[in-house]
Amino acid sequence: MTSAPYGWAPASAARAALSNEFGLVALIALFGAWFALATPGFASSFNLFTLGRIAAIDIMIGFSMMVVIVSGGLNLSVGAIGVCSAMAFGWLSQRFGLPLPLTIPAALAFGAALGAVNGQLIVRSGLHSFIITLATMSVFFGLMVFITRAEAFRSLPSQVLAFGRLRYFGYVSPLIFVSAAVGLLLAALYRLTPVGREMLAAGANPAAAELSGVRVGRTFVFCHMLSGALAGVAALMSIARTGAAIPSMAGDLGQDWLLPAFLGPVLGGTLLSGGRVSVAGAFLGSALVSELTNGLLQFRVGEFWLQTYLGLMLLAAVLLDLARRKLVARLGASP
Amino acid sequence: MKLFALPRADWFGPLAIVLFACAVITAFAPSFLSPFNIQILLLAASVNVVVAMSQMIIIAIGQMNLAIGAIGGLAAVSFAGLMQVWSFPPPLAALSALGLGAAAGLLNGALIARTGVSAFVITLASLSIFKGADLGITRAQPFYNIPASVKAFGNATMLGPIPWLALPAALVVAGMWRLLYRQKVGRFILAVGGNANAAELSGVSIERATLWAHGLSGFLAALAGIMLVGRLQLGQPSIGDDWLILSFAAPVIGGAVLSGGHVSVFGTLLGVVIVAIITQALVIFRIDPFFVQVVLGLLILWTVGVNRIREVRLSGVRA
Repeated sequence: MTSAPYGWAPASAARAALSNEFGLVALIALFGAWFALATPGFASSFNLFTLGRIAAIDIMIGFSMMVVIVSGGLNLSVGAIGVCSAMAFGWLSQRFGLPLPLTIPAALAFGAALGAVNGQLIVRSGLHSFIITLATMSVFFGLMVFITRAEAFRSLPSQVLAFGRLRYFGYVSPLIFVSAAVGLLLAALYRLTPVGREMLAAGANPAAAELSGVRVGRTFVFCHMLSGALAGVAALMSIARTGAAIPSMAGDLGQDWLLPAFLGPVLGGTLLSGGRVSVAGAFLGSALVSELTNGLLQFRVGEFWLQTYLGLMLLAAVLLDLARRKLVARLGASP
Repeated sequence: MKLFALPRADWFGPLAIVLFACAVITAFAPSFLSPFNIQILLLAASVNVVVAMSQMIIIAIGQMNLAIGAIGGLAAVSFAGLMQVWSFPPPLAALSALGLGAAAGLLNGALIARTGVSAFVITLASLSIFKGADLGITRAQPFYNIPASVKAFGNATMLGPIPWLALPAALVVAGMWRLLYRQKVGRFILAVGGNANAAELSGVSIERATLWAHGLSGFLAALAGIMLVGRLQLGQPSIGDDWLILSFAAPVIGGAVLSGGHVSVFGTLLGVVIVAIITQALVIFRIDPFFVQVVLGLLILWTVGVNRIREVRLSGVRA
């Protein structure tokens, strides 16, 4: 059977070229080159710095949704949890003057605790995460506005703002390193640790996972706690960018985070039905979205229409992914 | 026998809550049942019931529509824009906006039915497409020149404390009842929501049912948007931004099963009334208006919990 390897080699090469991550890298490079050539502002060191900061935050928001999508659920309250931990951080720093080594872990723990509330409610009630997190998004955000009287915390430790303004080589923001580091940790979690494998197993098929000895309920709660903590990280990064903890930083009810939260993982090929994850894909997906947003603004296509382009992008990504999967399946089926 | 079946009806619990809440609130604040207050309650409930029905029809088919607010907003600014910029007469502008809403819904339905991608992702994408179009057309500025007849329709009363806006709302409730309980399309939508495979094997076209449900949802969202233009006397681009939570809360309070196949038109109507009463009570008792969000969220959690228990018991009874 000498023909088998011949038939295999081009197919697997084609499959590698059709892999989602490869496609995203190619798109990022392609659009980067186009924007750099077509607009004077895109490749300026200041714009690259700004773009890096925003991309870093969007990537983190994407991660915080990704870790729940893995379990076959979703978390509409990422924005609300993010704002809540940002306000907790602001409150502890401004009111009590606590140092950063205390306030940062406290804010992240608060995010994780709110995530745990989501997880417990979902597991205990057996209801879909959509309706539970829709309700908690309203509750968390409402309580936050009620407690803070919708006032921002603006006198925060100067190191936070300094960190946000820090530039390496004139254009690289350290925030992007934070996102990359968290991405590596998440990849290690899913590849190397039993907990990570259990999250994937529980997401792929809860009943089968339960029968194989995975405590599915506890695993789901972990996923939501992780999501809450990552939303907290994204919120703190956002504070580093703007220098203040503002109740409206993620829009009404934190809804403004929803689109970036889903765009990255969906573009990155994390299955919405759960059980499969691509951390690199989510990272690249969010980076691509930030790049396109920034490029479109450079073209001055009208900032009001921006949302329309993002929506079209999500739609195109989903349809392209569908076509890609069909093609891969055909290549896999034929010899 | 019939008496014992009564508490199991979807609308029984919400109705008991409405009566109890009215009694308690009136005891503390007698002005609650004044004609003026009833008029305010009805104004709010009229628009909200159309919003809730727009989501309910999608819940019936076992999906969700995140884009109803965006469709409503786009229809509202189109309605106002057509009258202000191209001086369309109000009925023609309203028809065009309704057509736009239905077309937007049909687009959602076609994408979902043809691609098999989840309604969540499709409507998340179309939410941002429609919202972007809304902001792009208006440049985030409201249309101010609304004809007096439209303003009157949104605020004048028809009979006693009953506002004119209650008329389209009542028609929508009656129409939905007829559609879901008396007409083939409605039965097909519920059948697909209950068990899509079984429905398809019985000869129901899933694609047609999906198109109907989403087209109708878009139409109702547009109607709610148009009603709000009359009520606010403005073609505001932010119309629809705050519909999402309410649109799920009311059907869920009314006993809808989120996985599809079971909704209650009167339950949803009562759900809207409960939300309106709570909002009004918070105002009367001078509780922070921000608290409405918290109460709405807790209400969803509470009712989905209760519905869940009821579901388990009902299936236990049947088994």
